[in-house]
Amino acid sequence: MIGLKGTLNCIDNSGALLVECVNVLKNKVNNGWGSVGDEIVVVVQKARPVSAAAQASVSAVKVRRGDVRRAVIVRTRKPVRRADGSYIRFDDNAAVLLNNKKEMLGTRIGGMVSADLRLKGWGKIVSLAPRTV
Amino acid sequence: MRIEKCYFCSTNVYPGHGSAFVRNDAKVFRFCTSKCHKNFKMKRNPRKVRWTKAFRKAAGKEMTIACLFFLDSTIEFEKRRNVPVRYNRELIQTTVKAMKRVGEIRARRERAFFKHRMAAAREKHKAHRKKVLDTVKSSVTLHEPIATASTKDRILVPVKAKSALIQGEGRSMGMDID
Repeated sequence: MIGLKGTLNCIDNSGALLVECVNVLKNKVNNGWGSVGDEIVVVVQKARPVSAAAQASVSAVKVRRGDVRRAVIVRTRKPVRRADGSYIRFDDNAAVLLNNKKEMLGTRIGGMVSADLRLKGWGKIVSLAPRTV
Repeated sequence: MRIEKCYFCSTNVYPGHGSAFVRNDAKVFRFCTSKCHKNFKMKRNPRKVRWTKAFRKAAGKEMTIACLFFLDSTIEFEKRRNVPVRYNRELIQTTVKAMKRVGEIRARRERAFFKHRMAAAREKHKAHRKKVLDTVKSSVTLHEPIATASTKDRILVPVKAKSALIQGEGRSMGMDID
């Protein structure tokens, strides 16, 4: 259940660490709340510091504090109902940053993601994640 | 689909039931009911909560693999197997047959275990009762009953005929009107 002002951990290597939700993009009906697999607009609140040496490498910091980006929610603390009727909840809220074409900004994901993402058409993120639960 | 075990009370969690919690290190905790989930959230240890399977096993109230008297192999059958098995008609048939037989053997062993446990408990209970009786005996000294009057005298209670009404002065207590 992510809404306005909700903070999420950013688990990709785009450079953002903590992001804040400023808008939940509308799909059919979400009543202003986002769940796993929903796209949101975020502001980067905390990012990894930019160093000149790391800037040339692959793991370059692509965002800085105050940037507005799209993101997709990958874990929520609110229990989410699975297709078989069971509920699953995680320890924290987490997101992965996206560009305007709904592609990932980073190249890696550090941490598990919900398996519900695949059903919602985020197969790329699921395949990059080290574990899906 | 597989039948999972509840993290807290170890009962079966069938598909479509219960909830799961995934810790940040990707360890999955499954719960059969909100009761178990709540107990987990209260950070209770299942080994210390008396109604859980974990407690009963830890306290020697149920048959376990490391049981002293019954080195039990029937528990070995129910186990999480992570190697997928290709479907084989004969294998399934023999498995179903074996499940029944293993269940029977297990029930019999459990009964024997219970009997054994109760026998030990009975001894303990008896010893305790004897101890209590001894302490009572030593603390109370009995006397001869004191000689009393006959039974009839004791039963007889003098009763005074008494009325709640207060007598009027010179007036009758009748209902007649002046």
